[in-house]
Amino acid sequence: MKSTRRRSRKEFLQATSSDGLEELRLAFHARLQSDRVHFTTLSAALARAEESPGWIFQDLQFRAHKIRGGAAIFEIAKIEAAAFALEQAAISASLSNANNTDVGVWTALEGLVRLMGELDAGVDPAQLAGAGRASAMGAAKRLER
Amino acid sequence: MQASNHAGTTKRTDSTTDDAASLRLRDAQGRCRILVVDDDALVRARLAALLRASQFEVDSAESGEDALRIMATARYQVLLTDWQMPDMDGLSLCRNVRANTGGGYVYVLMLTVRDRKEDLLAGLAAGADDYVVKGAPIEEILARLEVARRITRFEHGPRAGKREDGPESLIDPLTGAHNVRYLMEYLPRELERSRRYGHPLAVLSCDVDGFKQTNERYGTEVGNELLRALVACAQNCIRKDIDWLARVSGDEFMIVLPETKVHGARRVAQRLREALAAFPVETHAGPVSFTVSMGMTAVEPKYEKDGASKLEDVLRAADRGLHASKRRGGDYATAAAVSSALAIAMHARKGGKYEIH
Repeated sequence: MKSTRRRSRKEFLQATSSDGLEELRLAFHARLQSDRVHFTTLSAALARAEESPGWIFQDLQFRAHKIRGGAAIFEIAKIEAAAFALEQAAISASLSNANNTDVGVWTALEGLVRLMGELDAGVDPAQLAGAGRASAMGAAKRLER
Repeated sequence: MQASNHAGTTKRTDSTTDDAASLRLRDAQGRCRILVVDDDALVRARLAALLRASQFEVDSAESGEDALRIMATARYQVLLTDWQMPDMDGLSLCRNVRANTGGGYVYVLMLTVRDRKEDLLAGLAAGADDYVVKGAPIEEILARLEVARRITRFEHGPRAGKREDGPESLIDPLTGAHNVRYLMEYLPRELERSRRYGHPLAVLSCDVDGFKQTNERYGTEVGNELLRALVACAQNCIRKDIDWLARVSGDEFMIVLPETKVHGARRVAQRLREALAAFPVETHAGPVSFTVSMGMTAVEPKYEKDGASKLEDVLRAADRGLHASKRRGGDYATAAAVSSALAIAMHARKGGKYEIH
């Protein structure tokens, strides 16, 4: 019978390193970069939104929730916390029928995208979306940086 | 049995071969089988890798509905499920698992980012045994799963198999019919009773025609749905609390009919064929029709001049009848005599109406 005793963290990570955990971690990081590009596209759409950007808030909420769950399992606490902030901000904006200048959403979005960028400094900033409505331009520009 | 590939998607092999005996063997070896349910493929894959490294046996599902389909074909001691998923969320999954009492207890651990007290209470109220917020250290998740392993070992382990009143040891988890263990324990008793009181006893062997091709064409899930439909149909064709049926292997069943002669077994076979022909089975892949081949035999003590029939003789005779039906192309029932004396008597009584093999 194989032993099922609890292992120390070091032993455990050594044992699991050959099970593809590193490969999965890289795949998760790659997906975060893909999400980052999507967030930038959404930010541009949000900046241009003429009327209620409800669908954008819902999309932000959905994606932030997914990132939050994944980051928790992959033990990236900062991303998890930033995704949680965006999820809550998007819920709040959606419930209050906020317009596209909602400060809470833009702040949380900016924070999450910045952290995701830090994970992968090699991403071309030119991929990030640009101009939108004048009122949202400032926030959108912050995302471009 | 399920297998998960690296991306965490489910791949199905032959689920119907997963019997209680092999599960108990794995239990005895310290293995605990977990179904991980999460709509995020990377999360599923990471959890699966971590759990395998901790000596758990892991399969995965991408939604509540997917999980229920998998759990209908295989047994798991532990269900580790996310809350928010498309189609069916973790709460509904929990409630469904609890509503289904067959196949032994499943320990449910919810693993979700929802961290409010109300969420925890809702999860436990839905039937979860434990609740962990995503973001908890992996060590904590594993420690809680060790608790699950410890608890479920009592429910599914070798001791459970030795309990005489343990229903899971005598019930086929896929169909809810009795299993081969029940057949081998209770058919000899029926034979003994038949001999002692001089009453007849009929046995009907039943096999789905083209089951392998059906599985290949529609998938094993549909095959399993047909097996369940067959059991439901057969149970409607036999006497409640007197007759019984057991699943012997993949698609083969034995129907035991106490106090019944071979022509009574023939009537049951005819009813079953007609009932199956009446309506196609509604499966998740759409309506599917199927037929069965049957072999029947009977023990009639008054004709047993050359010694009492043994269990093997009865099973062999029913099997001969079944194979004769298969040779005729299926959707047929053939009687086969256990003893030569009974064969002669059956011919004499019915003027050769029954085919005797």
